Amino acid sequence: MTAGARPAPPKKSVRPYLVAVAVTAFTIFAAKEVGLSLSQLTENFKTGRDFLARFFPPDWEWAKENVPGPMIETIQVAILAAIIGCSVALPIAFWASKLTANNKWVYYIDKWFLNVIRTIPDIFWAMLFVTGIGYGPFAGLLALIMFSLSIMGKLLSETIDSADPGPLEAAKSTGAGHTQAVQASILPQVMPNYVAYALYIFELDIRASTVLGIVGAGGIGRVLEAQRAFFRFDRIMAIVIVIFVFVFLIEQVSVFIRRRLV
Amino acid sequence: MTEVFRDSEEPTARPEPRRGAKWTRWLIVAVLVIPAIWAALGLGVSLERILSAPADMWNIIKAMFPPDFSSKQLGRTFPKVLESLYIAWIGTMIGALFSFLLSFAAAKNLSPRWLTFIIRNLFNAIRAFPELLLAFIFLPIFGLGPWTGTLAIGLHSIGTLGKLSSEVIEGIDAGPLEAIDSAGGRRISVMRFGVLPQVLPSIVAYWLYRFEINLRVSAFLGVIGAGGVGAELVSQLRFRNFPAAGTVLLVTIAVVLVIDTVSSMIRSRIIAGKAGEEGPTELFEEPSTVGVL
Amino acid sequence: MRVVIEFKNASVTYRGGVRALKNVDLTINDGEFIVIVGLSGAGKSTLLRAVNGLVPATEGSVTVDGREVVGASAKDLREIRSDVGMIFQTFNLVLRTSVLNNVLMGRLSMVPLWRSTLGMWPEEDREIAMQSLERVGIVEKAYVRASNLSGGQQQRVGIARALAQEPKVLLADEPVASLDPVTSHIVMRDLQRINGELGITTFINLHFLDLARAYGKRMVGLRAGELVYDGDIADVDDTTFREIYGRAITPDDILETKE
Repeated sequence: MTAGARPAPPKKSVRPYLVAVAVTAFTIFAAKEVGLSLSQLTENFKTGRDFLARFFPPDWEWAKENVPGPMIETIQVAILAAIIGCSVALPIAFWASKLTANNKWVYYIDKWFLNVIRTIPDIFWAMLFVTGIGYGPFAGLLALIMFSLSIMGKLLSETIDSADPGPLEAAKSTGAGHTQAVQASILPQVMPNYVAYALYIFELDIRASTVLGIVGAGGIGRVLEAQRAFFRFDRIMAIVIVIFVFVFLIEQVSVFIRRRLV
Repeated sequence: MTEVFRDSEEPTARPEPRRGAKWTRWLIVAVLVIPAIWAALGLGVSLERILSAPADMWNIIKAMFPPDFSSKQLGRTFPKVLESLYIAWIGTMIGALFSFLLSFAAAKNLSPRWLTFIIRNLFNAIRAFPELLLAFIFLPIFGLGPWTGTLAIGLHSIGTLGKLSSEVIEGIDAGPLEAIDSAGGRRISVMRFGVLPQVLPSIVAYWLYRFEINLRVSAFLGVIGAGGVGAELVSQLRFRNFPAAGTVLLVTIAVVLVIDTVSSMIRSRIIAGKAGEEGPTELFEEPSTVGVL
Repeated sequence: MRVVIEFKNASVTYRGGVRALKNVDLTINDGEFIVIVGLSGAGKSTLLRAVNGLVPATEGSVTVDGREVVGASAKDLREIRSDVGMIFQTFNLVLRTSVLNNVLMGRLSMVPLWRSTLGMWPEEDREIAMQSLERVGIVEKAYVRASNLSGGQQQRVGIARALAQEPKVLLADEPVASLDPVTSHIVMRDLQRINGELGITTFINLHFLDLARAYGKRMVGLRAGELVYDGDIADVDDTTFREIYGRAITPDDILETKE
């Protein structure tokens, strides 16, 4: 065996040290700004315990009367928003992928559109729609449609980007129009992902829908906000427990279905 | 028609189409359409309302332009957006720290069944609470202000990051672990040399991704007074001061976009190291061109 | 001749009731070069792993250099393992880090825990690692990320890692099964050379019969967990293999015809 010469060890770089120092400094600064202090934490735990007593026992009597209605409204908003949002997102996602967009302009505009939409949190959408069209679940519905749309658009377009382009070429070579070719070749490939994403987004929509009402968009959120104004924490606890159980169940079902899809 | 290929002498019968196919399609349509109609009726959604919505929204959007870029408004908005940034940062840090420690206990390949069961369900329980709800509950305890938002984000992130991290850990190659074992290494060495190098890049990438999301979350947590720019948006909208509201939105969007881009870049660099590209082999080395074939 | 490894009526029964090794008696002396052959599932891997306790024997006794592996405490097991180097079919390198760091892992049992965890390896251990790399002829790649190496090179790093332990015994679990024919011969020659120059007792699991014939000095045959052959390689011919395998030889069992 011819022995090679021993190589020189690589030079140690300063960069990671600088990064670590910068990150630490920023964290300490941010922590102060945010009010992080151990003494405050322990202090608040003491007062917190008194407050927690106010949360229990939950007011189930009142809840039996006043929770189902708004909860159903919340669920309806989530279902509709998921269905409409995910449906509308289909063409939008296809336009946002280099592989399947009709032309360059469509692609750039659509991608830009999706990126901007994604930066706006669902609550902001809710506030905007509440301001624009008034209080009520309809505002929440529109907000969640935008929310669902943006997430599905991003997820699906990324999946399309990594789809197999072969069938598309084959379809086009038979003389099929662009949209037809895409429908026949790419759509079936991404269908399983689409359904999985849709279920995931439905989960997210249920969660978001429960809280959107806090800013006036109807549903159980509105009830939460009202009870907070009256300091009825025991009722809030009842609502929270109901929401939690419900969300948890939906999540288990969704995970179960998604696992069987794959 | 002349036959080109033949497997057997008998004429082959045409196969029947699978019976399930048509039936499942109707089932899917039913599963989607029926709830949609029920929901639409329950909410009082009518075509008229849907069509009038864009017009109303357009009025609002028109009223927001031109946005109020006066130094007064910017002076109010920027500090609040920065506050949201700090909240998201510390919240993510809290989430990252605790989730990292707990994720090892939740990994099926490293921990006994009973422990993974408890911790995983702990993660699921935390995750079921949207951050807004957590902040809601924390408000009476910790009061108005950024600390409430930070805690809400931190707690929720422990749940989401915990689940993701434990899945990363479960996906590692056990080979290197066996090698360290067979060389007489102790458990700590197996973790330090076998597990950590395999999981750290993906886990850190998840932390950054979570930070991107938490930035949006902290922006709106302000709406209920948990600190950040949300409160500013609420007050401007309430006073129907649309140009100012437009400013708030634009500044927020801009900051979020910048952070998103930077974070994406960092994430792809971290993951790219995994693909065996040129790069430092140790954290404190300069990238070198030493001996790639 | 000093006895280095001894199996006395050793058996391994897995939890489902599968008996992977049945009453194996085997004595291996210092400096021997032994190949194990047998069908997949015959117990070759189990036999190998019983030596360093990666698969503990459920009955009987397995000793390495006089120390009992069966029932050994964690600490004793680590000590035994530090004298037993192992290389694997899938190389088992930590791909994200450098070749040198991979080899240094062979020194883990000899270096204080805090030093290895912080990466502050003593100078003499670094020297041993470098020398191991020189011995397998790959020292110029010391600072290259392990994932950038070819399969054959990675296996040589694996060998270097085992050598860095300064072991008495070298276990090799199908070391060339993932390599092409040319590289396989290079690696087998390396193992042969190490056994000759350093006198390390070598115990190899092989799938390919022509390699076993070409490089082995003594051959052990397993069938359904039982030891059915133990003899000098010179006495081995095709009928021997047929007895061990229980069937005729197929092209899959020979390296040279592998696609």
